[in-house]
Amino acid sequence: MFIFILKRIFQSIPVLLVVSLVTFIMIRSAPGGPFDQDRNVPPAVIKNLNAHYHLDDPLWKQYVDYVVNVLKGDFGPSFKFQSHTVNDLILAGFPATMELAFYATLFALVVGLTAGIIASLKPNSLQDYIPMSSAMLGICLPSFVLGPLLLLVFGIWLQWLPVAGWGQIPGDKILPSITLGAAYAAYIARISRGGMLEVLSQDYIRTARAKGLSPARIVFVHALRGGITPVISFLGPAIAGLLAGSFVVETIFQIPGLGRFYVQAAFNRDYTMIMGCTIFFAFLIVTFNLLADVVLVLLNPKLRQQINEGH
Amino acid sequence: MSIEIINSPTISSQTIEQGVSLSQDAFRRLRKNKMAMAGLFLLVFLIVIALLTPWIAPYSYDGQDLALGATSPSQQHWLGTDALGRDQLTRVMYGSRVSLAVGFIATAVALLIGVLWGATAGFVGGRVDAIMMRIVDGLYALPFTIFIILLTVVFGSSMLLLFLAIGAVEWLTMARIVRGQVLTIKRQEFVEAAVSMGLSPLQIISRHLIPNVLGPIIVYTTLTIPSVILLESFLSFLGLGIQPPQSSWGSLISSGVETMEEYPWLLIFPALTLSLTLFSLNFLGDGLRDALDPRAAKD
Amino acid sequence: MLSVKNLRVVFNTRNGTTVAVDDLSFELKAGEVLGIVGESGSGKSVACYSLLGLIPTPPGKIERGTAEFLGQDLLRMSETELRKIRGLKISMIFQDPMTSLNPYMRIADQLIESVLEHHNVSKAEARQRAIKALTEVGIRDVELRINDYPHQFSGGMRQRVMIAMALITEPQLLIADEPTTALDVTVQAQILALIKKLQRNHNLAVIFITHDLGVALQMADNIIVMEKGKLVEQGSTTQIFTQPAQAYTQKLLSAVLTTSKPTPSLAEKTEPPFLQVKNLKTYFPKFGGLFIKRLLATQKAVDELSLTLNRGEILGVVGESGSGKSTLGRSIMRLVDAQSGEVLLEGKDLLKLSDSDLKKSRYNFQMIFQDPYASLNPRMTVFDTLAEPLLAHKLATKNNVAEQVNQLMDDVGLDRRFIRKYPHEFSGGQRQRIAIARAIALKPKLIIADEPVSALDVTIRAQILKLLLELTQKHQLTMLFISHDMSVVRYLCDRVVVMQNGKLVEEGETEILFAAPKAAYTQQLLAAIPKV
Repeated sequence: MFIFILKRIFQSIPVLLVVSLVTFIMIRSAPGGPFDQDRNVPPAVIKNLNAHYHLDDPLWKQYVDYVVNVLKGDFGPSFKFQSHTVNDLILAGFPATMELAFYATLFALVVGLTAGIIASLKPNSLQDYIPMSSAMLGICLPSFVLGPLLLLVFGIWLQWLPVAGWGQIPGDKILPSITLGAAYAAYIARISRGGMLEVLSQDYIRTARAKGLSPARIVFVHALRGGITPVISFLGPAIAGLLAGSFVVETIFQIPGLGRFYVQAAFNRDYTMIMGCTIFFAFLIVTFNLLADVVLVLLNPKLRQQINEGH
Repeated sequence: MSIEIINSPTISSQTIEQGVSLSQDAFRRLRKNKMAMAGLFLLVFLIVIALLTPWIAPYSYDGQDLALGATSPSQQHWLGTDALGRDQLTRVMYGSRVSLAVGFIATAVALLIGVLWGATAGFVGGRVDAIMMRIVDGLYALPFTIFIILLTVVFGSSMLLLFLAIGAVEWLTMARIVRGQVLTIKRQEFVEAAVSMGLSPLQIISRHLIPNVLGPIIVYTTLTIPSVILLESFLSFLGLGIQPPQSSWGSLISSGVETMEEYPWLLIFPALTLSLTLFSLNFLGDGLRDALDPRAAKD
Repeated sequence: MLSVKNLRVVFNTRNGTTVAVDDLSFELKAGEVLGIVGESGSGKSVACYSLLGLIPTPPGKIERGTAEFLGQDLLRMSETELRKIRGLKISMIFQDPMTSLNPYMRIADQLIESVLEHHNVSKAEARQRAIKALTEVGIRDVELRINDYPHQFSGGMRQRVMIAMALITEPQLLIADEPTTALDVTVQAQILALIKKLQRNHNLAVIFITHDLGVALQMADNIIVMEKGKLVEQGSTTQIFTQPAQAYTQKLLSAVLTTSKPTPSLAEKTEPPFLQVKNLKTYFPKFGGLFIKRLLATQKAVDELSLTLNRGEILGVVGESGSGKSTLGRSIMRLVDAQSGEVLLEGKDLLKLSDSDLKKSRYNFQMIFQDPYASLNPRMTVFDTLAEPLLAHKLATKNNVAEQVNQLMDDVGLDRRFIRKYPHEFSGGQRQRIAIARAIALKPKLIIADEPVSALDVTIRAQILKLLLELTQKHQLTMLFISHDMSVVRYLCDRVVVMQNGKLVEEGETEILFAAPKAAYTQQLLAAIPKV
C-alpha cells in the first residue's frame, strides 16, 4: 500500500515538471515584458530591473534556477507587487480559497448525495424527478450566472445575506459556497443516483433482501459502498474545476483568495506570480487526485489485495 | 415478437418482412421523450436564429445610441439597451453566434482528434495502445483550464485560438470513451467472426466496429457541446475570452453583473439564453443516452 | 406447510403486459423436496420470488392467488411482516454465488448480520454460529477463512458459503434457485450432495428450481413442470420419469437422457490426417510489478497438446472452465496467437501462414460461437450477415447472392421471410441457426463449434444438435465440437478428447470412453452427470 502511494507520487513528479516547463515557455513567449505597462519607467531602470530578476540570463538557465528555487520552497518575488514575494501572496490568498473550496465541497456532498440516494430509491417517480430536475438546473446555471442571481435575490432584494467579503460579516461565506458548490452538488446527485441504481440492481442486494434485512441496512451498509465509488472517482478531478471556479466566485463576491489574485496576475503579466500559482494549483490537483485514488482502493477489497500483491 | 419456426418448408420470398433496426428503435424511444424533443426543437430554433442573425437582427451589434442610454425592455428594444444605448436583443443574438460556433466547432475538433486517437489505440491494442493511453493519462493530469487562461493572456484571444485550445482539452475524455467502446466491441464474438471470415481490417472497422461504437460517441458529443460553451462563457466572463465589441454570452453576463442592481435585465436575458441552451443540449444528450441504451432494446 | 393456489403474476412494461405466472397451484409438506422444472420464461423463478415479495412491484404485480405458509397468506402480508419471514423461516440461495454475495463485506459479517437481524443474541454468539454453519457446509480452516472476502473463495466454496448463510437461522423452507447452474460439472455434484445431506439432517423443506430435469429427478421427491407460466404436469419423481404424461415433459425428459449418437460415424482416415495438432502451446503471460514490468506468472491455457482429427469426423473436446478447450479452438482458428507448435490442416501448417495467406485461406476453417447474442452484429440484417462472407470471398456477386442466402436459410431451417430482420428480433435458438448458416456459407472444410448449445434452453438445444448432425452429414463437414456437457458430446461426437488444465487427459471413441473411462478425471466428469 505504502509502495503504491510512493509509486503514484513518483509518477506525479514528471507531471509537475511538465506543467512548470510549459508555463515557463508560454509566459516567456508572450510579447512584452512585465514592465512595459508602466510607461513612465526610464530604460536604464528597466535594464536594472531585468538584471535584478535575472531576465538577461539564457532562458534555460532561468528555468533551472527557478525550479531549484521552487524545490527549496521559494517561488521568487512578485513582479508586480515589489515589496512582496510570491510566497507571501500565495500564503495570503490560499486559506480563503481552500476554505471556500472546502465549504463548497461539503455543500456539494451533503446536498448531492442526499438527493441522489433519495432519487435512486424510487426511480421514475416524483421522488426521482424532483431532485434530478433540480440537479439539471444546477448543471445548466453556471457559477457566474447563479452567483449574481443569488446576490441579486438574497443580497440586494431580500437583503438576507451579505454581498461581499469573507469572514468579515457573519453569513458572508454562505452565498459564495453555495454558488461554487451548486454545480458539483448537481453532478454528484446524478452520479450517485446512477451509482446507487447500478448497485441496487445487483444480485447481492437481492440476497440482502431475501435475508430479511431492514431497508435502511440494505441501503447504507450494503448499497452505499458500491454506489459511492463513482462519486469518489469524480471528486478527484473535480478539484481542478473547483479551483477554476474559485476564480469566478471570488471575483463576484470580492473574496481575497488565490483565485482572484491569479486572474489579476494574468492580466498584470506578473510572471513569477503566474508561474507560482500554476505550479501550486497543479500540485494541489495532483495531490487530491492521488487521495481520491487511494480512497477508491481502500474501499474495494479486491483492489486492495491486488495492490498489496504488487500489481 | 418473434416466432420460432422449425424446419419450415421454403416459402416464396414474396412476403419478406421488414425488420426494425436498433437505430429505428432508438429514434422511436427518443421521440417519446418529451423533454429531449423539447430540447431538440429549442436547440434547432436557436441555431437557426444564430445563423440568420446578420439578416434578421433589428440593429447592428456595435451601434450605439448614447442619448438613449440604458432602457428597460420596450417595443423598440425587446430586451432593452445597455448604458451605451446598444440594443440587447441584437447583442444576445450575435453573442449566440459566437458561443454556438465555439461550442460546435471546438467539439468537432475534440471529436476528430479523440475518435481517431481512441479508435486507433483500441483497435491496434498492445504496445501502441499502452503508449497512447499513457500519454492521455499524463495529459489528463495537467490543469488545462489554467493553461487556456495562460494561452489567452499570452496570445490574445482569437476565435481560432479558442477553438483549438478548448478542443485540445476535451479530446482527452473523448479518446478514453472511444477507446473503451472499441475495446468492448472488439471483444464481442461477432468481431471475432468477422476476423475468422478473412475480412480486411478496413472492412471490419467500417462495417462492424464503427456502427456499434457510434451510439456512445453521439451521446458524449452532445454532452460535450454544453461543457465547451460553458468553458468559453467562463473565460469570457473573466474577460479572457472574446473581446469587445464582439460579444459572447459570457462577456454580456459579465457586464450585466457590473450593473445588475440598476439594470437587472442586462444580466437576466443573456443568462437566460445561456441556461436555456445548456438545458436543451443536456436534455437532448440525456434523452439520446436513454434511447441508445442497449439494455432497453433487448427484451 | 406451504400451499399455493391460483397464483398469477404479471409484468407491466412499456412494451405491454406479460403474464409470467398463470394460475399456478402446488403444495409442499414439511421435509419434502419439490423440484420446479422449466426453461427460461417458464415463470419458475418469478413464482418463488413472489412468495417472498422479492418481485419489483412497479413493473410486476401479483394479480391473484394465495400462498398459505404456517397459517398465514404470504401474498397478503405487509413488507414488515414479510421481513420476519425472509431469512428466518424461508431462506433463499441463488444461481451465481459471485454476484450474490456482497463483494465489499467479509464473509463473517454477512453471516453474522443474518443472525443478528432475526435472533436476539450477542455478536460473539452470532460469530460462533457462523463458524458452526461454515464448518457444516464443508469449509476448511474456518477460523482463518471467515474473515476473507467472497472473491477469495472458489465458485464452489462461495456457494457453500451462501448455503451456510441461508441455513444459519434454521429456516423451515429453503428455496434454491438454480444453485448449481453456474458451477463446474464436478463441483455441481458436490453441491447437490451437500444440499441433499443438509436437507435430511435438518428436515428441511426445499423448493429446487432448475431448468435441468435430470437434476430435479436426482434431488426431488415431487416435481412440477412449468412452461410459459403455466403448470404443465406434476407428480412424484418416479411418475415423471417413468410415465411422463404431457408432450412437453416428454421433450424435457428425452433431452436429458444421455443417448449415444444416432447415426454412424463418417470418419475416414487419410494420410496425412485431416487435422493434426502437434505440441500446441498457448500461454498467457501476466505482467505486474511496481516500477519495472515483470512477469508474474504464466497461464498455460494450452500446454503442449497434440490431437488428430479425421476427415468427416466429429471430435468432441470436453473440459470444465479453465481447461483450455476454448483457447484450443481459438488457437487453431488463429484468433489467438499460439506460442509454438503446429496445426496442420491437410498437411499445411496454419500457424505458419503469413497474414495475407491467412486471410485468403480463412474460408477453409470457420467457427460457431457460444453466445448467440454476441456472435451476430446487432446492426446488420440476417441478409447482410450471411451475404458478407459470400461477397468477401467472391463466391457470389451482388446479383446472385440472394439466392445463395435463401438457400442457407433453408439449410438451417429459418423462414426466408425473416431475411431483413435484425438479430434482436430473433430468439436465442434462431440466432444460433443464423450463426451456423454463416459458418457453413463458405463451405469450409473444418468447423470448430465452441459450446454452441450451452447458452440455449434444453428443448431448443435438442433441435440445434439435430440440425448440426444433419448438416455435417449433408455437407460432409468435419467438426471439432467443444463442450463441457458430456451428454451433448455423447449425442453428437464420434470421438472424444478430455482436457484438464491445458493438457489432454484421455481420448477415445465416445461409447468406449463412456463405458470404461481410464483417467481419474474422466471418471469424475462422468460421475457428475445427474443419474436418473
